[in-house]
Amino acid sequence: MALVGIIANPASGKDIRRLVAYGAVFDNLEKVNIVRRVLLSLASTGIREVVFMPDYYGIVPKAAEGISEKHRLQMEVSPADICITGTQRDTLQASLLMASLGVDCIITLGGDGTNRLVAKGCGTIPILPISTGTNNVFSVMVEGTIAGLAGGVVAKGTVSGFPAVQPSKRLIVYKNGEAIDSALIDVVILKDEFIGSRAVWDVERIVQVLVTQGEPHNIGISSIAGNLQPVSAQENCGLTIDFASNGTLVRAPIAPGLIEVVQVNSYRRIMIGERVAIREAPCVIALDGEREIEVQEKDNVFVQLAFDGPQVVNIRSALHEAVGKGYSRLPPAE
Amino acid sequence: MELTKEKLLGFYETMMTIRAFESKAVALFAENKLPGFVHLYLGEEAVATGVCANLGTKDYITSTHRGHGHLIAKGGKVDLMMAELFGKATGYCKGKGGSMHIADVDLGILGANGIVGAGLPIAVGAAFASKYRKSDAVAVCFFGDAASNRGTFHESLNMASIWNLPVVFVCENNMYGISLCQRDHMNICDISDRASSYGIPGITVDGNDVIAVFEAASEAIKRARRGDGPSLIECKTWRQRGHFEGDPAIYKDPAEQQSWLEKDPLPRLAKRLIELKYATQTELDQIQASAAEQIEAAVKYAESSPLPALTDVLTDVYAG
Repeated sequence: MALVGIIANPASGKDIRRLVAYGAVFDNLEKVNIVRRVLLSLASTGIREVVFMPDYYGIVPKAAEGISEKHRLQMEVSPADICITGTQRDTLQASLLMASLGVDCIITLGGDGTNRLVAKGCGTIPILPISTGTNNVFSVMVEGTIAGLAGGVVAKGTVSGFPAVQPSKRLIVYKNGEAIDSALIDVVILKDEFIGSRAVWDVERIVQVLVTQGEPHNIGISSIAGNLQPVSAQENCGLTIDFASNGTLVRAPIAPGLIEVVQVNSYRRIMIGERVAIREAPCVIALDGEREIEVQEKDNVFVQLAFDGPQVVNIRSALHEAVGKGYSRLPPAE
Repeated sequence: MELTKEKLLGFYETMMTIRAFESKAVALFAENKLPGFVHLYLGEEAVATGVCANLGTKDYITSTHRGHGHLIAKGGKVDLMMAELFGKATGYCKGKGGSMHIADVDLGILGANGIVGAGLPIAVGAAFASKYRKSDAVAVCFFGDAASNRGTFHESLNMASIWNLPVVFVCENNMYGISLCQRDHMNICDISDRASSYGIPGITVDGNDVIAVFEAASEAIKRARRGDGPSLIECKTWRQRGHFEGDPAIYKDPAEQQSWLEKDPLPRLAKRLIELKYATQTELDQIQASAAEQIEAAVKYAESSPLPALTDVLTDVYAG
């Protein structure tokens, strides 16, 4: 029987960019509403079993409880057996557990940072990332109802493989010879010393950026790549950008409502497998928009581009293919 | 954000002074030397320090029943505070107010407050005054998670929003309202969610990370000062002691307490200062010793001060 995982991050959409930019507060009640619509759509595609990441707000249980009697779910909705810590650890643990359970698709609610953690645990299980964060490139703005339908057809095996499910790239960070973390969209090197409030918004602090993808219609730091030399999600390369004063001026939307001018010294494409050294230490490294790694002067750090990121559901392609296979047509009533 | 050595060591010094003051209060209360209740700020030092480091004397704060940290971070005098805890005539309230009523208007400290949620409208009033007088002073209101359930919270945020007042609401979410766990007194977990109801920005930060608090408060205060209106910052933190001294806090899960002790804001900052060579352990030890000396001197000042005279029993009070 097809099994779907749901990981909804209760902490996404609440960082400092609501003060320094024009990001909206994405409250958990709205996440409940989205999950409710996802569940109803999953049920309509024949999914009968869902496992979810428990969280301190109870997003998924509240979503299930709020469904009217008329639309009552014929579905078992169970929490993943993890200990809630209220930290990033919960997302990773839930993802690892779902992988061990062999779920057929994981639907996520969060930003790129949330998906970065899911990707670290999910192996080859397809992810369907719904955006509820701030600067999202990996996760997409989509109506929950539609996301649920796409997740359902993938989990049921109605569709599989490219283009319904697409491979993705990642950037692996090595510190002193050891792979310590990875990013799905961008690695940003900041002339900072503290992780602090985590988000990245002050372009004056950026010294180097590496991206797996970046297009002019993206928002966030990867949009700088998009406005220099666009790289798509499916190209066999990424981009590395060095910043310096007196460099070429480039305008890019680095946060909601925040279109900044940055000074680019140089940029070039990087190939799969290529390693790029970090040229400033001490520094702080941000992964997918969140300051995560504090680097000391003595540390040797480099970043490597790989095409071994998570499998990602392309909602448009998945539903097109499913319709082509007749998933939406029912036998005539007798 | 660029942070100088002076600024960083200033954070450590303020946090250590609060820690020394509160640790001394634990001992003094146990020795039955303090005549009133004290609600201690141990574990929450990063919030007051990170916020008040962005304020000047002209700016205002309103505090809570757990106010010692706010007062020290805003520049309150520890000898006058300690004398007030002892109920002495040299204290901030001449010994008649105790821990929960300390104020220093000259420093913009509009008072600790024994009533939960009572500081919110006072801060809004101060912010209104600032706007009315065309001053660029900002009011900061500290309050707890449970205070956000009170009507004063709703009225204050609503009024601050419609009048676009220069006020920053800082919720110290220490997860408990007295003995009641947050999940048992509200149906949400991030108090920043409430900001959107009033059309103002709300964010959540790690309240045990002084740098995170400083950054967030810096942006919120700059925003308020330039006329862009109020905001709400929720700082997730933890009180290491009971609600008041004498409360054994049996309602807290020991494992949860332990996990938060591991996130104690002082060792966190110390570790990073040493890693980045901003200070040596010896220098940090000196700051700690200096804070302890300062508090010992405050205790001596308090102990050697006189009690209020019997003839003053009806002075400065409403009764009579």
